[in-house]
Amino acid sequence: MQAWSLEFLPLLIVLSSLLPGLLIFTLKEQQVALRTSLNLLGVVLKLVLVYVMWQGVKAGDNYEFRLAFLPGADLILHADALSLLFVVLSSVLWLATTIYAIGYLENSPLRSRFFGYFSLCVSATVGLALAGNLVSFLLFYELLTLATFPLVVHRGTPQSLAAGRRYLAYTLSGGLLLMLGVSLLHLLAGSPDFTPGGYVLPLLATEGALLKVAFALLIAGLGVKAALFPLHGWLPQAMVAPAPVSALLHAVAVVKAGAFGIVRVVYDVFGVEVVSSLDLAWPLLFLAAFTILFGSWCALAQQDIKKRLAYSTISQVSYITLGVALLGPLAAVGALVHLVHQGVMKITLFFCAGNYAETLGIHKIRELNGVGRRMPLTSVAFTLGALGMIGIPPAAGFISKWYLGLGAAEVAQPWLILVFVLSGLLNACYFLPVVYRIWFGVQYSAWPAPQRFSQRLETHWMLLVPPVFTMLLILLMGLFASTELSPLSWSELIVEREFSFDD
Amino acid sequence: MLSFYLYLATAALLLGVGSLGLWRGPELLRRILALNVIGAGIFMLMVSLAYRPVLYGEPADSVLHALVLTGLVVAVSATAFALALLGRLLARPQ
Amino acid sequence: MWPAVLLVTLPLAAALLMLLWPRRARVLHFAVAVGLLPLAVSFLLQVTVSGEQQWFLGNWGPLLAIRWQADGLTTLLLLVSVTLHLLVSAYVGSIQRRNPLPAAFWPLSNLLLASLQALWLSRDLFNLYVCLELLGMVAVALVTLSGDKALRPALDYLLYSLFASLCYLLGVALIYAGYGVLDIPMLAGQLEANWLNAVALTLMTLGLMLKAACWPLHLWLPAAHASAPAPVSALLSALVVKGPLFILYLLWTTLAPAAFLPAAAYLLASAALGAMLFGGIAAIRTPYSKSLVAYSTVAQLGYATLALAFILRFNLPEFVAAMWLFVLSHALAKAACFLAIGELQHTLGARQVEQLKGASQTMPLAMFAFAVAGGSLIGLPPSGGFLAKWALLLGLWQSQQFFWLLALVVATLLSAAYVFRVVVLAFDRAAPTAPDFSPQRLPQYLALLPALLVWVMAVFSLPLLTLLKQEL
Repeated sequence: MQAWSLEFLPLLIVLSSLLPGLLIFTLKEQQVALRTSLNLLGVVLKLVLVYVMWQGVKAGDNYEFRLAFLPGADLILHADALSLLFVVLSSVLWLATTIYAIGYLENSPLRSRFFGYFSLCVSATVGLALAGNLVSFLLFYELLTLATFPLVVHRGTPQSLAAGRRYLAYTLSGGLLLMLGVSLLHLLAGSPDFTPGGYVLPLLATEGALLKVAFALLIAGLGVKAALFPLHGWLPQAMVAPAPVSALLHAVAVVKAGAFGIVRVVYDVFGVEVVSSLDLAWPLLFLAAFTILFGSWCALAQQDIKKRLAYSTISQVSYITLGVALLGPLAAVGALVHLVHQGVMKITLFFCAGNYAETLGIHKIRELNGVGRRMPLTSVAFTLGALGMIGIPPAAGFISKWYLGLGAAEVAQPWLILVFVLSGLLNACYFLPVVYRIWFGVQYSAWPAPQRFSQRLETHWMLLVPPVFTMLLILLMGLFASTELSPLSWSELIVEREFSFDD
Repeated sequence: MLSFYLYLATAALLLGVGSLGLWRGPELLRRILALNVIGAGIFMLMVSLAYRPVLYGEPADSVLHALVLTGLVVAVSATAFALALLGRLLARPQ
Repeated sequence: MWPAVLLVTLPLAAALLMLLWPRRARVLHFAVAVGLLPLAVSFLLQVTVSGEQQWFLGNWGPLLAIRWQADGLTTLLLLVSVTLHLLVSAYVGSIQRRNPLPAAFWPLSNLLLASLQALWLSRDLFNLYVCLELLGMVAVALVTLSGDKALRPALDYLLYSLFASLCYLLGVALIYAGYGVLDIPMLAGQLEANWLNAVALTLMTLGLMLKAACWPLHLWLPAAHASAPAPVSALLSALVVKGPLFILYLLWTTLAPAAFLPAAAYLLASAALGAMLFGGIAAIRTPYSKSLVAYSTVAQLGYATLALAFILRFNLPEFVAAMWLFVLSHALAKAACFLAIGELQHTLGARQVEQLKGASQTMPLAMFAFAVAGGSLIGLPPSGGFLAKWALLLGLWQSQQFFWLLALVVATLLSAAYVFRVVVLAFDRAAPTAPDFSPQRLPQYLALLPALLVWVMAVFSLPLLTLLKQEL
C-alpha cells in the first residue's frame, strides 16, 4: 500500500457519501436521473473503497488520517478491525437502503432534501465507525443526530414533528452527557487514540471515583442512542418516519452508533481490566438484561407492525450491550456478531413492513391475515427475519445467541441463560403469531389501500430487491458462519486482537 | 478648605436629586432632566477635585478640566439626541 | 501604528464625508469597508509576528496621553468587527431594492465601527467612557432607523445607556480622585482595597453590566434589538454588547485589588446563572421570532459572564479562552441568526415564530443558516460554540465546580430548545406560510456565510488559542 492511500483512504470513505450528499442538496426536484446516479455512484464508490480497506486491514495495514482539531485531541479517522466491522455493515446496508428509498419515495416531494440528509447520515455513521479517539467519536455522534433529525421529521405531519422533538430532546441530552464524560476523561487522561485494553489503567489507583463518574456519563450518553432502559422513549415514537428511515435508524445508523460506542468505551477506552476492577460492569449488565426482557414484553402488547419491531429493537440491541458487559471473549464475539446480524435481520423486517404498508396499506398486525399468498417473496423475507430474531438455527440470529449463551456460561453467570431463554420465548410469542397470520390466517376484509406497482411482481422491484438481498445475507451468514468471510470469523479476529494483551 | 467640602457636598446633593428624579419619574422628559442633573453632579465633583491641589498651593489639575469639557460636550449632545427622539415620539400619530 | 490608526480614522472620516456627499455614501462605504479588511488582517499578522504593541497618542507624556495597546485579543476583535461590518453592509446593499434602509445607515454604521475599534484599542479609563458613550448613541440612532415603532424602545435604550455611562463616569472620577491616573496599565496593581475603590468599582461594574445587558439589567435589550432593522440587530447583538464586556474584563483582571475578586466573582456568576436560565426560558416562550433571537443574546452573554466570573476565582487559562471564544463565536453566530431571521421575516411577512412554518421548504437557505448558527449557540461540535464550551467544561472539571456543570447542562438544553423550536416548525409541511415574493438568494447566502465561518472556527482552534495566549 502506498503511503498516501494509508492516510487518505479513511477520509475518502467518509467523503464518498458526504460529497454526493452535498451535491444532491443543490439539485432541483425534477433532476431524478442525476440524483439517482449520484446516489448510486456514492454507494458503489464507498463499497469499493471499503473493500480495499478491508483487504488492507486484514493484511495488517495501518490506515490513519489526522487533522488538528482541539488542543490535545486531533480529529482522527483510523481503521481497525472493529471499525471495519461497522463500516462494512453500514455501507452494505446503505446500498440496500438507498435502492429501497429510491423506490419508496418515487414521486414524493422534497426528495433532494431527503437524499441529501440520507447521505450525510451515512457519512456521519461511517465517520463514527472510523473515529480514532473519543473527541472524534463525539463529533460524529452529534453530527449523526443532526443528520437524522430532518429524516425523522421528513413527512412534516404533526405526529412526525412531535416525534422529532422527542428524538432531539433525548439525543441532544445524550450528546451533552457524552460531551461531559469526554471532557472529564480528556482532563484526566488526555484524548489518546483508542487502544485495545484501554488507556486509563495508570489512573486506576488515584482517580477511581472520577473514572466511575466518567464511565457513567459516557454510558448514559451512549445509552440514549442504544435505547437502553430508561432512555429508550424516543425510539417507538420515531416510527412515524418513512420506512427507509426507520430501517436506517434501527439497523445501520443511530441505534447501532450507541451500541458501537459502548463497545468502544468498554474495550478501547477503559479496558476490561479497569471495568472489572471498578465493578462497573454489573450495573450495565443488569440494565441490559432488564432492557432485553422489558423490550420484548412491551413488544408483545403492540398492535402496530412497526411499533412491535421498534420495541423488538430495544430488546435486541441490548444483547450487544449485555455481551460487552460480560467482559469475556466468547460473549464479546457474540456481541459483535450480533451487531451485524441484528442489523441485517432488523433491516429486512423493516423493509418488509414498509412493503406491506406501501403496497397494500397494511399497518396493523391483524390486517396481515393471508398476506403470504398476495406477497410471497416479501413474506418469506419477513418470516426468515423473524425466525432469525427468535434465534432458530439456520438463520443468523442463532449464531449470535449461541455465542452469547456460551459467553454467559464462560464467566459463570448461569442466570443469564435464563434471561436468554425467557427473552427467546417472548420473541417467539410476539413474532410467531405474526408469521402464523401471514401464512395461515384467513383474510377477512379487503386490503386497506392496495396499489399496483408492477404487472408481474408483487410490488415495485426496487422495494422487493432489498429485502430479498438482505434475506439472502441472513441465510448466508447463518449457513456459512464458519467460513473466513463471515462476520463471525471477523468478530473472532477482533476479539483476538482486543483480548490479546491479556495473555 | 470649607468651600472644598461645600462643593463636594453640592455635587453629592445633585447626584442624589438626580437619582431620585430618575427613580420617581415615569415621564420621559423628567428622566432626561434627571440624567442631566446627575451629569451635572459628576462634573461638579470632578471640578472640585481639580480644585484640590489649590488648597496646598499648587496649580489646579488641568487634566480634570479637560475631562469635564469633554464630558460636557458628550452630555450636551446626548441630551439633544434624547430630546429629539422624545420630540419625534410625541409628534408620532397615535 | 498606522494600521491601528487607519482602522479607527478611516471609518470616522468616511462617516463625515458621507454627511457632506450623501449621494456618494454607498460607494464610499463599500470602498472603506472592503479596504479595512486586508488592513485588519495584516495588523493581526503583524501583531502575531512581532508581539504586543502600544502607543501614546499624540506623543504626549504617559500621564497625559491616551494609551492604545494591541495584543492578540484586540486584533482579533478588530478583525471580527471589520468582517461583520462588511458582511452586514453587503446584506443591506443586497436588499436595497426591496426594503431600503434610510440613507443615515451608512454614516452611522461607520461611526459605530470607528467607536468600536477605538474601544478595542484604548487602555484609558476616560477615553473608554467616550467610546462607550459614542457607541451607545450611535447604536440608538441605528435602532430608530426602522421607523416610528422603534422610537419608544430606542428612547428607553438611550436612557438606560446614558445612566450606565454616568455610573461608569462617576466610578472613573472616584478612581482619579484617589490616584490621579487614568491609564489602565499604570493603574494595574496600584488599587488598594479601600471603600472608595469599592464604591468606584461597583459603580463602574454596574454601568458596564447594564450596557452589556447582563441579567437582571438586560431589560432594555430584547425590545431594542427586536425592533431595530435586522441588519442593525445583527450589529448590535454581535458587536455592541461585547464592548462593555471587554472593559469589564480589563477592569477586573488588571485593575481590581485581589481582595475584591471573590465578591465580584459571586456577583458575576449569579448574574450569569440568571441570564442563562431566564434568558433561555424567555426565548422559549416569546411569540416573536426576533425577540427569540434577542433573548438568546441575553442567555448567551451569560456564558461569557460565567467564564469571566471563573477567571476571577480561579486563574485558569481555560476560562480566559472560554470567555473570548464565546464572544467571538457568538458574534458570528448571532449575526447569521439575525440576518437569517430578518430575511425570513421580510420574505414571509411573518413576525411570529409560528408563522415560520414550512420555512425549510420555502426558504431552505435562510433556514439552514439559522440552524447552522443555532448549532454553534447550542455548542454542537465542531462549531466555535463547541470550542468555547469545551474550554469551559475543562475548566469547570478542573476546578471541580459540579453545581456549575449542572447549570451549564441545563442552559445548553434550554438553548437547544429555543433553536429547535424554530427548526422543527420549519419542517412542518401541513400549512407552510407562503412567501410574499420569490425569495432572494444573495441575502440568504450572506446570512449563511458567518454561520459557516463559525463552524470553521473549531478547526483553527490552535491558532486562535495562540492568539489569545492561552494553552489548554
